[in-house]
Amino acid sequence: MAEEKVEARATKTETAEKPETQVEVAKAPEPFAGIALTPDLQFVNAIIKGGGESLKKCYQCATCSVVCNLTPSDNPFPRKEMIYAQWGLKDKLFGNPDIWLCHQCSDCTAYCPRGAKPGEVLNAVRKMSIERYSVPGFLGKAVGNPGALGLLLAIPVVIFLIILGGLGHLNLESIRNEAGDIAYSSLIKSYYIDGVFVPIFFFAVISLAIGVSRYWKDLVQAAGVRPNGIGSAISSTVGEILAHKRFEKCNLTISRKLAHMLVLFSFIGLAITTAWAVLYLYGYEIMHAMGKTPYSWLLGPSPYPLTDPVKWLANISAIGLFIGIFMVMNNRKKNEEKAGKGGYYDWLLIYIIFAVMATGILSELFRLADLALLSYLIYFSHLVVVFFLFAYAPFSKMAHMVYRATAMVFAKATERDVEVK
Amino acid sequence: MAENKKVLVIGGGISGLTTAVEAAEAGLEAYIVEKNPYLGGRVAQINKYFWKLCPPNCGLEIQFKRIKNNPRVTMYTLAEVESISGEEGNFDVKLKLNPRYVNDKCVGCDACAQACPSYRSNDFNFGMNKTKAAYLPFEQAFPFKYVIDGATCPKDCMKPCLEACKYAAIDLDMKPETISLKVGAVVLATGWNPYDMNKLDILGAGKMQNVITNMMLERLASVDGPTQGKIVRPSDGKEVKNIAFVQCAGSRDENHLKYCSYICCLASLKHAMYMREQYPDSKVRIFYIDIRTPGLYENRFYWKIKDDPNVIFTKGKVAGITEDAATKDVTVEVEDIYGAGKIKVTFDMVVLATGMELTTKGSKVGTDISYTPDGLVDDAALKKGIYAVGTLKSPADVARSVQDATGAVIKCIQSVNRR
Repeated sequence: MAEEKVEARATKTETAEKPETQVEVAKAPEPFAGIALTPDLQFVNAIIKGGGESLKKCYQCATCSVVCNLTPSDNPFPRKEMIYAQWGLKDKLFGNPDIWLCHQCSDCTAYCPRGAKPGEVLNAVRKMSIERYSVPGFLGKAVGNPGALGLLLAIPVVIFLIILGGLGHLNLESIRNEAGDIAYSSLIKSYYIDGVFVPIFFFAVISLAIGVSRYWKDLVQAAGVRPNGIGSAISSTVGEILAHKRFEKCNLTISRKLAHMLVLFSFIGLAITTAWAVLYLYGYEIMHAMGKTPYSWLLGPSPYPLTDPVKWLANISAIGLFIGIFMVMNNRKKNEEKAGKGGYYDWLLIYIIFAVMATGILSELFRLADLALLSYLIYFSHLVVVFFLFAYAPFSKMAHMVYRATAMVFAKATERDVEVK
Repeated sequence: MAENKKVLVIGGGISGLTTAVEAAEAGLEAYIVEKNPYLGGRVAQINKYFWKLCPPNCGLEIQFKRIKNNPRVTMYTLAEVESISGEEGNFDVKLKLNPRYVNDKCVGCDACAQACPSYRSNDFNFGMNKTKAAYLPFEQAFPFKYVIDGATCPKDCMKPCLEACKYAAIDLDMKPETISLKVGAVVLATGWNPYDMNKLDILGAGKMQNVITNMMLERLASVDGPTQGKIVRPSDGKEVKNIAFVQCAGSRDENHLKYCSYICCLASLKHAMYMREQYPDSKVRIFYIDIRTPGLYENRFYWKIKDDPNVIFTKGKVAGITEDAATKDVTVEVEDIYGAGKIKVTFDMVVLATGMELTTKGSKVGTDISYTPDGLVDDAALKKGIYAVGTLKSPADVARSVQDATGAVIKCIQSVNRR
């Protein structure tokens, strides 16, 4: 009875008798009025295990929603997500763009009076969201599970060992190209590499596409409104992501902007490098096969000289990634006390990127130093971690880039978005 | 041993006074050590206190009278404990007595204050006004003696006071002195400070004129306060017609005070009453996480105030405050959890319901204190024969403090008789 009175009055004052001094009163549906709830305790435990240990400490004061600069004012996050999570309302969490509009600035976590770490809880929910939407589902579970790490790494190891064994290239010391140099294209011809990575790439793209479309469907269903103007929403989302607009709105972890920017742009640089190398190799081979003399700038199989622009881009991107991922690790350690340290899932991606970058740079350095055995071993591990990064991208934290972008597009297309300048 | 049936009470607020008079009336000798120049502590600063909403003199007067009538109570004002050594039944205590520059001949005639050339910030009113450096702490001060603030008014500055006093009550030669006492038991009753709003960075960090603490509002509402009881804005003296209360300002917060300070919800409800009584056309909005009105308070205050349509309760903790540079109006930012989303609302004045921070955190009491995980004094871990009372152990109202203080007396009696 008391509650009814409160709400009756609240409604009256917000609408009929709105004091003149209230500059902004957004209207939103009451989220829990008259809902019969069946808590999904398994789901709650899964969040707790996935890095949201502090979940139950939340006492719903809403400090988090207020200090968050990324939440829309109308029905803001993450306070409501905290109670959805405590009550195990997974449909409310998953079919909700808000868990991805959160960029884990951790201002909420820093100011949380209870140490409930909303940023970490939402991070755990995001992990589960990736797990839920990614196909095949068992891979989603495996990537999030430290116990499966060995198996996941063993897959590329076995694949590449089979290829090497098949080629009879197990005597690493003796492998040289025609010029007598160490050449990774002599260890495993690019066709074999591409024979593995091209299907992996399409697998990842298709898996992500299916995941995203399933997610989109849930978003539309939960929101009950049709998204509008998806084209412009996509272009503005891409622009925002590239400019890192939302990172700028973080207070505690503002230093992440530069770190993430370096990592993202280095990845873009490395993607261009890869395309460029593909052009060099296959452009050369195709012209050759057609009986024409390949253009002189089509360099054919690697290695390429350090003076070539493709190497400039490759090396700049590698150094950018080195610095970027180092900053990511450093920022996390620096803010650990206030923002939380992140879980296995976060650190897995960080370490894999670190390993990709470290093995890539060392492969080049050892090759230039003419240390054959070491070079080839490192190159082999490079192939393994690159495989890991791409093949498991739909299931690892790497998938954040598509799910978050999807949520941002959806939010813009349904006018549920925060102003970013 | 009989000669050491003495108890030292550190702190002259409601808990300390009660311990001292109850102990004295039970036959012990009691020393009250108070760092301020007056007794009465926080209660003396409150306009009306729970739960009968009496002015402070109605309760304090009785205790003061009991002290005056009881030769077994000795009080030291402007005094601090330097050290406590020894053991239960036989403590050696060193006290530092700071100079008042005014002796017992003072009749409170105000001549020294009128003659005094220098001013000081009035800490009794939380710095909201100034007094002369020769001053009576407040109108009902006990002991009823003036005091000269040597820090703002050094020796030469005091001379006009000396000349103005007809009763030879000014003594410029007073110096800090250290005295020793032997006691059988010690009671810590140093009480609390309002939580420092400078530490509340998202609540204005103490930098906004029209954002005040609940204790400051008590002073504004008191007839002997800086505004003679009119609740007006510090920035421009404008009547406050639209006021907000921010609950849990520093309490229930791991970054500040981990515990619930018990009294702040009640205080804000009471302050809503002050507002509504003083300005019938005023509007009050209370932003809360949970309204906590323990025991009898719920029916006596909460439901009564809730029936007033001009008092709005909004569930959601304020986590942002901004000030209009021109008007000095204050805008709070909060999520209205019952439905309106993230809102910004502007008020004439905002009151932070700051909680109780233990005084022992800032100043020493001569003995080692360990704290519970919540940050309260761990009574059980104190040296044998030393007891904590009142708000040191758990935030409390006057009634609970007095009960606790009275109960502590039996422990003191045991301590002094054990050997």
